[in-house]
Amino acid sequence: MTQETRIIENTWDLTAYQWKIESDALDLYVKGLKDKKILGRKCHKCGTVYVPGPTYCRKCFIDIDKVVEVAQEGVLDAFTVNIADVKGNLIEHPYITCTVKLDGTHSFLMGILEGWTDWRSVKEGMRIKVVWKDVTQGALADLSHFQLI
Amino acid sequence: MNERVAVVGYKQTKHTFDSPVARERMIYELVKSLFKDLGITRDDIDTFIFASNDFTDGRTISEVYTVPRIGSFMKDETKVEADGLSAALYAYMRILSGLYETALVIGFSMAGSEFRVPLTQAYSLDPVYERPRGIINYYSTSALQASAYMKKYKFTEEDLARLTVKNLQNANNNPYAARKEPTASVEDVLNSKPLYLPIRQAHVSAYADGACAVILSSKKAAKKFTDKPVWIDGVGHFMDTYYIGDRDLLAMEHLSAAAKKAYKMAGIKNPKKEIDLAELHTNFASEEPVFAEAMGLFKPGSGKDVVKNGESGIDGAMPVNPSGGPIGANPINATGLIRLAEASEQLRKEAGKNKVKGAKTAVVHAQDGPGAQLNTVFVVRR
Repeated sequence: MTQETRIIENTWDLTAYQWKIESDALDLYVKGLKDKKILGRKCHKCGTVYVPGPTYCRKCFIDIDKVVEVAQEGVLDAFTVNIADVKGNLIEHPYITCTVKLDGTHSFLMGILEGWTDWRSVKEGMRIKVVWKDVTQGALADLSHFQLI
Repeated sequence: MNERVAVVGYKQTKHTFDSPVARERMIYELVKSLFKDLGITRDDIDTFIFASNDFTDGRTISEVYTVPRIGSFMKDETKVEADGLSAALYAYMRILSGLYETALVIGFSMAGSEFRVPLTQAYSLDPVYERPRGIINYYSTSALQASAYMKKYKFTEEDLARLTVKNLQNANNNPYAARKEPTASVEDVLNSKPLYLPIRQAHVSAYADGACAVILSSKKAAKKFTDKPVWIDGVGHFMDTYYIGDRDLLAMEHLSAAAKKAYKMAGIKNPKKEIDLAELHTNFASEEPVFAEAMGLFKPGSGKDVVKNGESGIDGAMPVNPSGGPIGANPINATGLIRLAEASEQLRKEAGKNKVKGAKTAVVHAQDGPGAQLNTVFVVRR
């Protein structure tokens, strides 16, 4: 009895699908970015502030519509030093990816951390601020990075 | 351990061919309004079960975006990769175990507007013998079955057209149906676009955007939800081979076995007499006599007489799909769950224009896979 295997070629054409995406949270968020503001939604029942802000509260399971502008400063929550790329190759200039919590919000934002020279000196809990691209156009990339204060 | 499980709440969307909202909003609104109807909150549900499918949703782990949209944020949540009645079976077992008292089951699809059903279904076919050559699909598999039945039992194209019109008329009286063709005649069906003969466009179920949610509960917890519980007294769940070539498409032995198991559990000896109506998950009109006979609801090969005598009509001896069935709306993954909701509505005497008089016991069926590879059968009573 043989134990041979062979390859059978098949495809799965994902372009056969067109998804309708609920855009309330994204639209509000990028609209704010264009004006160099961070906008989210606040639940009137439990007070949770979501950024980006959906039109419902996932805890209370109710519709929410209160738009709030949140602070552009906050706290460094966690970070990782990117030493390698997704293929495992070492990269020439390591950089830091982080999660931050802007003051008064309950969601984390993810981005690039700058304003450091030795990563060993970066500590969770340090204060950060939002840094914008010079020209904003209503896109996620308008928020350039977070800067240690 | 819990002894008995009931359907205590259900709701479906008004199904459409192009939902104005995304699936996330659709299921959120549906579940929220079901909770409101029952006067409950998400804290009253112990476990949440999705019925969704990566192939028909076009993305892997297809429920991942929708978890908080049914109230299951930070709750016990899981998924069945099959039709909604399989998810209901899973919920039923979880409640029987005694670890859970209540479960919400939801199925949904955007089959009306976001993808071409036969194209995407093809990816779920056997990847060695069937898929690469492209010679078979869900439509043609069912056409082979239809052709076999029609030749063996002299069931004519006209019989098939009459059966289709029966279901279209029922669907026309169903407020949730997407497909409304009140004036469709036997002639219209006979002249509709040929696809995979004998299957024509008019025979094909209405692949639609829509959702259905059902709440199951233990006997102990049922009172909190309703004073009209619908009891699940029998279940059967049988699978045939993946490779279509190894199956007898006409005999449907796995469906017979699933039905027999459910009847035995429910103490039903003569389904023809003891069952008052059937809700069947038919993707094509031609499946109705094949399935109904395999389930012992009619004599084998009697399809022609059943159509002629109107036995499967709302006022007939064994009404089949008084809701219109999937010919009125087939939001894949929700379709079997809709059968359970429709049967429950009948038994609770809330069925409106399509009411089957005096209905106390119903049989509910769902399928998945090409040519009904998987069959689930429930016997429900009020």
